[in-house]
Amino acid sequence: MIINNPGGKSYDLIVVGGGHAGCEAALASARMGNSTLLATINIRDIARMPCNPAIGGLAKGQLVREIDALGGEMGLCIDAAGIQFKMLNRAKGPAVWSPRAQADKAVYHEKMLEALSSEEGLDIFEGEVEGIAVEEGRVTGVTISGERIRGKKAVLALGTFPNGLMHIGERKIPGGREGEPPSCLLSDDLAANGIERARLKTGTPARLKRSSIDFSRCQEQPGDISPVPFSFRTKKLNLDQISCYITYTNVETHDIIRKNIDRAPLFSGQIMGTGPRYCPSIEDKVIRFSGRDRHQIFLEPEGRGSEEIYINGLSTSLPVDIQEKMIRTVAGLEDSEIVRYGYAIEYDFFPPHQIHASLESRKIEGLYFAGQVNGTSGYEEAAAQGIVAGINASLSLRGEPPFLPGRHQAYAGVMVDDLITKEIDEPYRMFTSRAEHRLLLRQDNADERLFRYAVRYGLLEKGLWSEMISRKKRVMKAKRRLHREVIPAERINSLLENEGAPPATEARKAIQIARRPEIGVEKLEAILDGGGLGLGERELDMLGIEIKYDGYIARQKKMAHKLLKMDKMTIPDGFSFEIEALSREAREKLGRFRPETLGQASRISGVRNSDLSILMIFIEKLKKESKNSGRRGMNFR
Amino acid sequence: MDGTTVVALSTPPGESAIAVVRMSGTGAVDILDRMAGASGPWESHKVYRKILKKADGGPIDEVLVTVMSAPDSYTGEDVVEISCHGSVHIYSSIIEEALYLGAHPAGPGEFTKRAYLKGKIDLTQAEAIADLISAETQLQARVALEQLEGSLSKKIGKIEKRLLEELALLELSIDFSEEDIELCSRDTLRKRSEEITEELKQMIDSEITGKKLRNGIRVTVLGPRNAGKSSIYNALLGEERAIVSAVPGTTRDLLRERIHIGGFTYYLEDTAGIGQTECEIETKGISIGRKAAEGADLILFVIDGSAGWDDESRKEFEKIAGKNHILVLNKKDLGADISCEKYRPKTLSGSAAEVSAKTGEGIQSLRKMIYKKTVRDDAAEIVKERGAVSSRHAAALREAVDAVKGVIAELEGAGAVEIMSLEIREAIEALGKVTGRSVAGELLDLIFSRFCIGK
Ligand SMILES: Cc1cc2nc3c(=O)[nH]c(=O)nc-3n(C[C@H](O)[C@H](O)[C@H](O)COP(=O)(O)OP(=O)(O)OC[C@H]3O[C@@H](n4cnc5c(N)ncnc54)[C@H](O)[C@@H]3O)c2cc1C
Ligand SMILES: Nc1nc2c(ncn2[C@@H]2O[C@H](COP(=O)(O)OP(=O)(O)O)[C@@H](O)[C@H]2O)c(=O)[nH]1
Ligand SMILES: [Mg+2]
Repeated sequence: MIINNPGGKSYDLIVVGGGHAGCEAALASARMGNSTLLATINIRDIARMPCNPAIGGLAKGQLVREIDALGGEMGLCIDAAGIQFKMLNRAKGPAVWSPRAQADKAVYHEKMLEALSSEEGLDIFEGEVEGIAVEEGRVTGVTISGERIRGKKAVLALGTFPNGLMHIGERKIPGGREGEPPSCLLSDDLAANGIERARLKTGTPARLKRSSIDFSRCQEQPGDISPVPFSFRTKKLNLDQISCYITYTNVETHDIIRKNIDRAPLFSGQIMGTGPRYCPSIEDKVIRFSGRDRHQIFLEPEGRGSEEIYINGLSTSLPVDIQEKMIRTVAGLEDSEIVRYGYAIEYDFFPPHQIHASLESRKIEGLYFAGQVNGTSGYEEAAAQGIVAGINASLSLRGEPPFLPGRHQAYAGVMVDDLITKEIDEPYRMFTSRAEHRLLLRQDNADERLFRYAVRYGLLEKGLWSEMISRKKRVMKAKRRLHREVIPAERINSLLENEGAPPATEARKAIQIARRPEIGVEKLEAILDGGGLGLGERELDMLGIEIKYDGYIARQKKMAHKLLKMDKMTIPDGFSFEIEALSREAREKLGRFRPETLGQASRISGVRNSDLSILMIFIEKLKKESKNSGRRGMNFR
Repeated sequence: MDGTTVVALSTPPGESAIAVVRMSGTGAVDILDRMAGASGPWESHKVYRKILKKADGGPIDEVLVTVMSAPDSYTGEDVVEISCHGSVHIYSSIIEEALYLGAHPAGPGEFTKRAYLKGKIDLTQAEAIADLISAETQLQARVALEQLEGSLSKKIGKIEKRLLEELALLELSIDFSEEDIELCSRDTLRKRSEEITEELKQMIDSEITGKKLRNGIRVTVLGPRNAGKSSIYNALLGEERAIVSAVPGTTRDLLRERIHIGGFTYYLEDTAGIGQTECEIETKGISIGRKAAEGADLILFVIDGSAGWDDESRKEFEKIAGKNHILVLNKKDLGADISCEKYRPKTLSGSAAEVSAKTGEGIQSLRKMIYKKTVRDDAAEIVKERGAVSSRHAAALREAVDAVKGVIAELEGAGAVEIMSLEIREAIEALGKVTGRSVAGELLDLIFSRFCIGK
């Protein structure tokens, strides 16, 4: 419910920032029964997408599935706001499929606002938070317009706003993003409270007027014929899909950029923060990969009825006159009109070695950080952290241990673990290659991985969980049947003939036939004894995956199990890494990141196997000593 | 490493001209101060002459002392080396004094272990040091030295890098499939994987030679009594080690000595002669000899060439004929036409040598034959060129090969990139076991440095 004045009120949890992280945090908190306040600078910008009009994508799609499996909102919103759906990597194995959808930005915002407003126990207030209140090392509330609002816990999800500074060519404009003011007071207040901060940078391309583009000179890119929804709770998608278009830069475009490179803030030294290497500006690409004479561009609509087209691949902070010239050299864009210019933005983030895996600050109890403020970039990355922070703040209020998904359980787990063990020297984005147990972390099985937590925490109904279990049971039963059933050669050949494959000479187990890439489960059903398997479409897919990855999944589980042992070995609170025997680099890194388990320590770069053995020895010694002395000098979790 | 200081004798025990006592750890310099009755100043890597005394004031010896301050020492800790006069009494007194002053006795390999834990050397180098210390031949020392200088780590590092590149290509096609990037073809991937497999296999192949180089080769001399086994044994050793006598059954126990051929160490074993005997000790000796022959890398089956075969010898020979062996026809000097040839068992497939232990005729070529029958002709060359891996290395390398073969199998089949990626990650993991290094973090760096990413 939107409120006008929170003054004098007291909340269980206050969420600062109505971006993708903040929305999920606030919803999770309210759904877990806490009185919650969501304070944000502008209500009309809640869940705004300041960059590309899309949700999901490689690895990000998996994150959305996880958020959904935890009872989050992002999947439902994009199912309602999507205008084009695609399952990426379909040509590859199902372990790396990722859903992606073009979004109608306005609808996405409306849907999220609807969900927030109708959530019981959730107040929404428009206003800028200027500072946090801290008593005895623990957060007790926030201040807005000089007034104190009490809160037992707080989540900071400030996005690119802390000391945001936008660059367009030589022009510098303070702002959180286009058309919005920065948030400077809060960032300075955090610094005053001893929170370390640093600068990062990101950028966005210009937007063009739809009617000014000649799409006939571009290549059309339609959506999937049968679109797959993001949410496990959406039964079916019914929509007319809208196409995107592909075009390319050319030698002429690159010439213009090269000639004016001294006017690009990135190269003139005007921008100090580091940008992402995976999402470079066009000037970056032209200079670094000078051998290429074209770069791909996607033209994506910002909404169903929107007149704005997003130029994916042409992010830039060149001056406006150069942007114009450069864009007009591209096929299809010769007569295009720019409705917004591209810009870069620099902002403060709070290096995440300062948080626990629960996202709670190590310095200030009860204060959680989520989203861009932790050095990540991307809506999905932010939302995933938001829901984790919301859940953990709520669990802490209940006095329960935090929700810490492991690297083998969720991309969200991989991300958080990376954040607290790796140096963030560019905005962090999710990639599937960051997950060493990728075959376990599929978009299709996020429910199997995470429903149980959502149900336990009260974020999803139990019914969904039981449905999932019986689905899984049916699939495993079918698999056992395929292991048992033997099919005579003639019947196998009735299938193989159609595929033009050499005939079989003897009977085979059904499972062996199903493994053949040219056959698969669906076709196999036709020749089974006693008819088909009686599985639904989704279940058949699940069975196909079970069969395809059979041995590999087992191998990954084994490997994950091995690594898990290290993660179970905790490093006591307040452990001193000033151990002379450690290598200098390890001592320095361990002192900075202060890992809480040996597993975390092992993932910090510069920490060698030998350093780990030393740590192990010292921890064992310490544990023995504190046991012998009969008192617990240290805290063992 | 955990704050303790250790002390040990670093030169071989026993009387010698000088002996070196070494201490390592935070307390090493302090202990030295107390023994030398002066607190430094010890400049690192400089030699000082001092008189060491016991705590009760009694002098021990006049010695040369070098302090190597952390981290520029072998172990990475403070190291003190004391060169004293090489009498057992003197070096024992120094060690006792150090122990009295708080040092602990160093376990075997402790200094090297410390160096490894301090990150001064990687695992392959630590192993090389152990090899170097026990090296007896030039070849052994050379292979160890090269490994110490990191040749094995470098070689593995290169393969790791190539695997990582392959992985980057696969990951690129997964994580950046929407980008306008030229992907690498199946054929290229396959060729690269095959090259890597080949290289790994070559390294694994060196294990057998490596094992022989490190552990030595066992050669057992077997045959009937009085054939001249002990005489040949002595001739090969170049010294009278075994008692030779015309009395049959002189040798009863198993004798073992070392000889070096072509840079390799051979353990030569003399056994009790085979034949019917009433003597319990001799019977036991015979069975010990047979047992030794079972595990030997090579058997020298000796018979008296002038006497020829009897049933017993023939039966015995047939038992071992399937094993790596050389039939040695001894006593060539006795001039008998060596008509054994015609008695020669049909099963004989191995080589035969005609020698005279008495005159020394044929002994030199027997040595050569022993070498040829136990190591490949070009073994020394190969080892010098490529090094020789240990069994631990080979096991890890085999895991890596299996994983890379998994990639090739997948390329021949469905070509699923996510599965190939898993295999390569496992291969890299396996190689990391050899060097103790992990390369996980380098993948994305490699991708971004090589490809234009970002639509
Ligand atoms: C120019 C630009 C380019 C980008 N380019 C990319 C890109 O290429 N790829 C990509 O993946 N991501 C990109 N992003 C990032 C993406 O928008 C963010 O990662 C994502 O929105 C972060 O979500 P968040 O919830 O952390 O913060 P945001 O979505 O930024 O939301 C922050 C919210 O906090 C509110 N707020 C801030 N301070 C206060 C305060 N003191 N009091 C009250 N409310 C406050 C703001 O009003 C806002 O609603 C870009 C962002 C911008 C601005
Ligand atoms: N003439 C001659 N006598 C030999 C030769 N080798 C050994 N003998 C003699 O044969 C006897 C037995 O030798 P020995 O080495 O003890 O035989 P073993 O029982 O096989 O170990 C001794 O008297 C040796 O001197 C040889 O090459 N020529
Ligand atoms: Mg003898």
